[in-house]
Amino acid sequence: MLSHATTRDWLIPYADGMLASDERRPIDGHLAGCAACAAELREVRELNLLLVTLPPAPPVAFAPFWLKLQATLPQRRTIKLPTFARYRKLGLAFAVAAIAALAAASAALAAPSALPDNPLYPVKQLEESLQVAVTPSSGQLPLKLYLAGERLREAQAMAYDHKPRLAATSLRAFGVIVNDASAALKHADPRAASEDLKRLRADLDAVERANVTRNDDDADIKQVVAADLDEIDRIEQPEAVTPDPTLIIGTQATPQPTPQPTPRPTPRPEPSDDEHHR
Amino acid sequence: MAQPEVPSPEGDAEERRLIDRSASGDQEAFRQLVLRYHRLVINVAFRALGELSLAEDVAQDVFIKVHKALPTYRHDRPFKHWLHRVAANAVTDALRRRRPVVSLDGMEQPPASAVPDPQDVAARHDLQRAVRHAIANLPPHYRDTIALQAFGELSYDEIARALDIPLGTVMSRLNGAKRLLRERLGDLVRSSDDEVEANTA
Repeated sequence: MLSHATTRDWLIPYADGMLASDERRPIDGHLAGCAACAAELREVRELNLLLVTLPPAPPVAFAPFWLKLQATLPQRRTIKLPTFARYRKLGLAFAVAAIAALAAASAALAAPSALPDNPLYPVKQLEESLQVAVTPSSGQLPLKLYLAGERLREAQAMAYDHKPRLAATSLRAFGVIVNDASAALKHADPRAASEDLKRLRADLDAVERANVTRNDDDADIKQVVAADLDEIDRIEQPEAVTPDPTLIIGTQATPQPTPQPTPRPTPRPEPSDDEHHR
Repeated sequence: MAQPEVPSPEGDAEERRLIDRSASGDQEAFRQLVLRYHRLVINVAFRALGELSLAEDVAQDVFIKVHKALPTYRHDRPFKHWLHRVAANAVTDALRRRRPVVSLDGMEQPPASAVPDPQDVAARHDLQRAVRHAIANLPPHYRDTIALQAFGELSYDEIARALDIPLGTVMSRLNGAKRLLRERLGDLVRSSDDEVEANTA
């Protein structure tokens, strides 16, 4: 027969169902004949009941939770230029200058992560214009790719937050930036450019998914996403196939990057819905 | 003894990728990680704090801490358990910062009634607050262990893995913690069964 003290030592794992049947048996034996230990077991069970009946949380919407969290996260992307290493040919010194300008601008103005529905958003736009202005021509492409990605991040957040008009505005701004960067992309290292475009395409898909998941399925968003995907398709097409005059739109006063040796565009199948232009 | 969880290898690999990408600053990867676990963390915080807005704030803190600590996370134990540990620390800290709303000594027993009336619900809330407060004031090693069981709903085995301690230590800590809780909660854990028995005798 198990002693009183040993039984008490094992009562909690016993009540938690943690003991194997051969470990339980001697305790069962003791409990049958010991009123004090049986009373203690009831107390242990009552405490367990209090613990397990702490109520679970009601459902919480993810989008607002994420947007609030995102605004407090350090913006590493602000100083991490996309595909920077692969654009080394464009000039390391200029790229370093671009990073310094980005970092300085982000530190000076406290709105690097503001979304379009944030009162600080105009400050962010100002900051971006400043970045574009101070970045030398050879750093322009990485900066534009970064800004394009930023527009898509905003569009996705706005689509999640049931703000389709703001989402569509960010998507249109994305189209303008990509269009603006198209010439530089066509002359950049084809593999790097192809990867960047692939990433942008995936981000566009994410916006579209956000639009559908939030049950808005907004037609305007769909249309602009389709137009933006067309724009990417156009850039990816071999040079000879796209003497499209619409490419000129939006290339106002953009400094052209240093001419690159023979561009070798990645061959891609032609998109079937080419008449979809904006 | 509790069966250890067996995560699917694909799910595991995907999560690993998300963690690595998040650690290197990929915000979309981190978003997906938060999407997977925000309910779990909010639930732990809510069970501990009993107030949704506060629970959400603490959950935000948990993810900020996780984001900061991700570069140091090693894949030698499940991410979920690591997250539970961060969450348990954050909620017990938040719990200790709150002033107790009820005094344990002045508490009345909830009425043993089959029909829940508003008084009954209020009494239940007081009881839950008392339990949370008592957990918050346990010695740290007891508190951290029982928080994982009471708020995180982890099994003994999961607690052992989350805290990186042997199963026997989990048992002895839970023993100690529950003994202290019973002492401190006093009459609150003298079962209402006793009353029922007394009434029906």
